[in-house]
Amino acid sequence: MTDSRAAAVWGQVAAHAAAHGRRVSVADVCAVAVSTAQLGGGWLVAARGGDPDFVMSVTDLVGEQLAELHLTTGEGPCHDVLASAAPVLASDLGDAESIRRWPGFTPAARQLGAGAVFAFPLTVGAIRAGVLGLYRGSPGPLPDRQLGDLLILADAATVMLLGSAHGDGETEDGAWLDGQPRDLALHRAEIDQATGMLTVQLGVPAAEAFARLRAYAYSQDRRLADVAGDIVARRLRLSREQDPGGGP
Amino acid sequence: MDTDLLSDTFVDLADTMVADFDVIDFLHLLTDRTVQLLGAAAAGVVLADPRGELRVAAASSEKAGLVELFQLQNDQGPCLDCFRTGRPVTANDLTGPDQQWPRFAQAATQAGFRTVEAVPMRLRDQIIGALNLFRAEPGTFAAADLRIAQALADVATIGLLHERNVRRSETVAEQLQAALNSRVMIEQAKGKLAERYGIDMERAFTMLRAHARNTNQHLTDVARDLVTGGTAEFPPARRQPHR
Repeated sequence: MTDSRAAAVWGQVAAHAAAHGRRVSVADVCAVAVSTAQLGGGWLVAARGGDPDFVMSVTDLVGEQLAELHLTTGEGPCHDVLASAAPVLASDLGDAESIRRWPGFTPAARQLGAGAVFAFPLTVGAIRAGVLGLYRGSPGPLPDRQLGDLLILADAATVMLLGSAHGDGETEDGAWLDGQPRDLALHRAEIDQATGMLTVQLGVPAAEAFARLRAYAYSQDRRLADVAGDIVARRLRLSREQDPGGGP
Repeated sequence: MDTDLLSDTFVDLADTMVADFDVIDFLHLLTDRTVQLLGAAAAGVVLADPRGELRVAAASSEKAGLVELFQLQNDQGPCLDCFRTGRPVTANDLTGPDQQWPRFAQAATQAGFRTVEAVPMRLRDQIIGALNLFRAEPGTFAAADLRIAQALADVATIGLLHERNVRRSETVAEQLQAALNSRVMIEQAKGKLAERYGIDMERAFTMLRAHARNTNQHLTDVARDLVTGGTAEFPPARRQPHR
């Protein structure tokens, strides 16, 4: 049903990791994003508590340079995604809009060979995990189908960044099962509400609250939505003492 | 149909849209007006995310039972059919036998609803979501009511996209994602307030909205600030009367 499309996309990510003989990581998400949307390359920048500033993955040299260009100019599509928590799809860096929005970034990006840059926030509500950036040498919009797949991939990258114990974007053992994320749950209000509740119950920032919620569900072998439902209905409380990995 | 209420409704919505507005707050206003105008028991706006999953953007009530009724329509129900076909979908009696959506009908009747209608939110060829209404009484929806509901859905679409003529096809995706993410922030903020003050989600939402109004901020910004932690001065529920 609605999951089959997401399942197909995640399957590609898992296949890519398997082909490289490693655990699924954000590097695989980047690679699949580039190939599925027939782009030139991509990069992923992680936020470690603040704004995204840690370039965690790049697929090629131009991607790496575009990532750095954002940091050196302090502007660009990847910067703008944070303010709006919406994708910024600059499909033609040659148009007036791009020059107006990013007067420093745009000419330099074009010189590097980028005709279009597509930036995706990696967020869960107020939780910022990072940014996914992609470029294409030629300008032109993303077809709807590809855009949908990229948004699904951005979601996957977000969960990977938030779920890994060391913030390294690699998934925990068992977090992916048979080529699918174990519980990339259909979005439900209770999951977000429970996250908010846990910031108070556990006295931790939202990103950690979300990670602890997922870790608990995984350790109990229960669906995330069900655990969240129990927390919201106040049938379940998580306590600070239960933290398996040490404090914030 | 109360024609004064009808004109007031569209004047209010238009007034909101020419100013700087928060999209979730706007959609919430729209669901409230939908209930008032059409004598519905409840209404909600659902939006499709990139996976094709229908997610609640706003509802006339924050009660968990109602939200659940929207969420379970990802399996079956009028919103799903409406989203897939792009046409209005109605059911005049959810209590009889031979229901086309048995699980949905059961949940809806348990929640006290007897009839349901979903009208599409459409932008040119793309269906981006649906406006979903419930009534407590059985019976058919008047043609005039269906037209009003469609007009309200169209207003919701326009409000969501922030501009009358969407020149760039990318704008739809960008604005949809922003709205969906805003909703998540609001849910996170509700949870934080509910736990902090020992209140239910409905009261938490009211508190958020009241604080946004009182401080002249966007609902989404208030929610974000609360979740990211900078709100030691967040007022307790009793300080301000309802508006």
